Amino acid sequence: MSTSRQVVVVDNGGGLIKAGFGGEREPSAIVPNCLHKPVASKKWVHPNPLNTPGSAEEDLTSASVRRPMDRGYLINPDLQREIWSHLFTSILRINPSESSLLLTEPLFSLPSIQHSLDELVFEDFNFTSLYVADSPSLVHLYETSRSPTGLLSKAQCSLVVDCGFSFTHASPVFQNLTLNYAVKRIDLGGKALTNYLKELISFRSVNVMDETFIIDHVKENLCFVSLDLPTHLNIATKTGNHNLFRSTYVLPDGVTHTKGFVKYPPQPNTYLPEAKDQILPQQHHNNTHKLDLTKNEFDLTNERFLVPEMIFRPADLGMNQAGLPDCIVRAVNACHPHLHPVLYESIILTGGSTLFPHFAERLEKELRPLVPDDYDVRITTQEDPLLGVWRGGSLLASSPDFDSMCVTKAEYEELGSARCRKRFFH
Amino acid sequence: MEEDGSNSNRRTSSRTRKVASKMVAALASSDNRTQAALARLDALENDNTGFELPDPNIDDDEASLDDDDQVFMQRKQSKGTKRKTRQAKALEARKAPRTFLELLHDANLESLPPHVPTYWKAAVGPPSSTARRHFCTVCGFSANYTCVRCGMRFCSIRCQNVHNDTRCLKFVA
Repeated sequence: MSTSRQVVVVDNGGGLIKAGFGGEREPSAIVPNCLHKPVASKKWVHPNPLNTPGSAEEDLTSASVRRPMDRGYLINPDLQREIWSHLFTSILRINPSESSLLLTEPLFSLPSIQHSLDELVFEDFNFTSLYVADSPSLVHLYETSRSPTGLLSKAQCSLVVDCGFSFTHASPVFQNLTLNYAVKRIDLGGKALTNYLKELISFRSVNVMDETFIIDHVKENLCFVSLDLPTHLNIATKTGNHNLFRSTYVLPDGVTHTKGFVKYPPQPNTYLPEAKDQILPQQHHNNTHKLDLTKNEFDLTNERFLVPEMIFRPADLGMNQAGLPDCIVRAVNACHPHLHPVLYESIILTGGSTLFPHFAERLEKELRPLVPDDYDVRITTQEDPLLGVWRGGSLLASSPDFDSMCVTKAEYEELGSARCRKRFFH
Repeated sequence: MEEDGSNSNRRTSSRTRKVASKMVAALASSDNRTQAALARLDALENDNTGFELPDPNIDDDEASLDDDDQVFMQRKQSKGTKRKTRQAKALEARKAPRTFLELLHDANLESLPPHVPTYWKAAVGPPSSTARRHFCTVCGFSANYTCVRCGMRFCSIRCQNVHNDTRCLKFVA
């Protein structure tokens, strides 16, 4: 860094805020971007950062949530200010008036939202300078830096598929600039999937409509992407031990455990084709259980793969939108034909919802028939899809010309929000 | 059944009329159905399902108490003719964090020239050719039958019974 000022990098997602300092590899804090109110308390409290041990002990049963973001965009700046001031003073312990900020913003943010964001940064927090980045270009930057000799860096373009909390974007990036005319979006993300799972479980077994955090945990631990839907559905209809997908989740009881858990930990993995044979005989021993009614628990079978399935076919949910493979093809087709082969060969998956097992395999399987034969399809998964954007931001913040790209507070005061925005090219 | 009263001398068998009225109801409800489907999709984006919080700024008790008092006072004095104080207006404005869709509507993106990429244009658009697959709303397996009243899907008589007993017409009524 050319100056002594530190750069704070904040990836302000709809679900999680990833925050830390430019140049570091890991963010200092990953905090849910919300306030929640447990049933027992009357106040809205800040959730603990996920990367500290404190977060494991929080009792989030039936907690209600307030989020500053709706459909991925900032709608409640007051709430965001509250969350940020907690983040900056208590977690990161920085003085905003002595640091610059690198902030991510969703694509196609509205002018009114950008305006309130600028106000928040410069007027409420007094940051000395601000750079607003869009997440696809940061992911691209990070991936090119990881393999300087790979195709990604040679061609200088990639197709970033960001499947996050609020929505899914397929965005072509060319020379570190997101080609915004070609970006395609599906209005489905992790939040909708959790709510869908909530709806299914509530109808079929236990009412969990208020348990956002618990069902999030269920989704993360039990859901997977099916590689062969008809066969898997068939297996899921079977009863007893032949049903490889049945797994039991125990809800917290508030006394002995405040976190829910999967009852038989090896059970969830029996869908893996290679594990099938080994686990089957063993299941005959421990799987002769009935539902234990003294504990609050429920079984999941086909829900485990029908929920992530919706990203591939939103139409099944009644949405008039194409699925992820179609989305990618349309995004690529909107680019110049010379880019097509390279884009198909450099698809990068990022975002929390790509963490479902078999996500990449399924995507490749569905994408292959849609892509012309003479093009290769290569899908890269990031080693940590949650943090990919943040790491790109950290990298950008430590680059020597970062300072010159920023908008300073003085410039903001002189020119106002709209003029400053023109500098960020998006 | 006002039809019965008005054309009671019309010679149609009661059976066909029954079916017809059901069909008419089903056809008329198609708009309701799409609305219900949209409402359901909307609900998937809710933070707290079932109910939205009555007052998001409930944590500052004093402010909301003030507000209540004012409203109460106003009601006592005169109905609606009294203009609101500045403070009450400010509180009201602060009370409603607007939804993204409202902001989107205000931004008036349609007025931009057609070559500018916007939020609307980035939407992926309708699915290409593949037909919608139907899953049983009760058990989740592929569903071959549709409920004539509300249009939800089920796969067997057993599931139909569950559906009728629990949530038929719940979304449409």
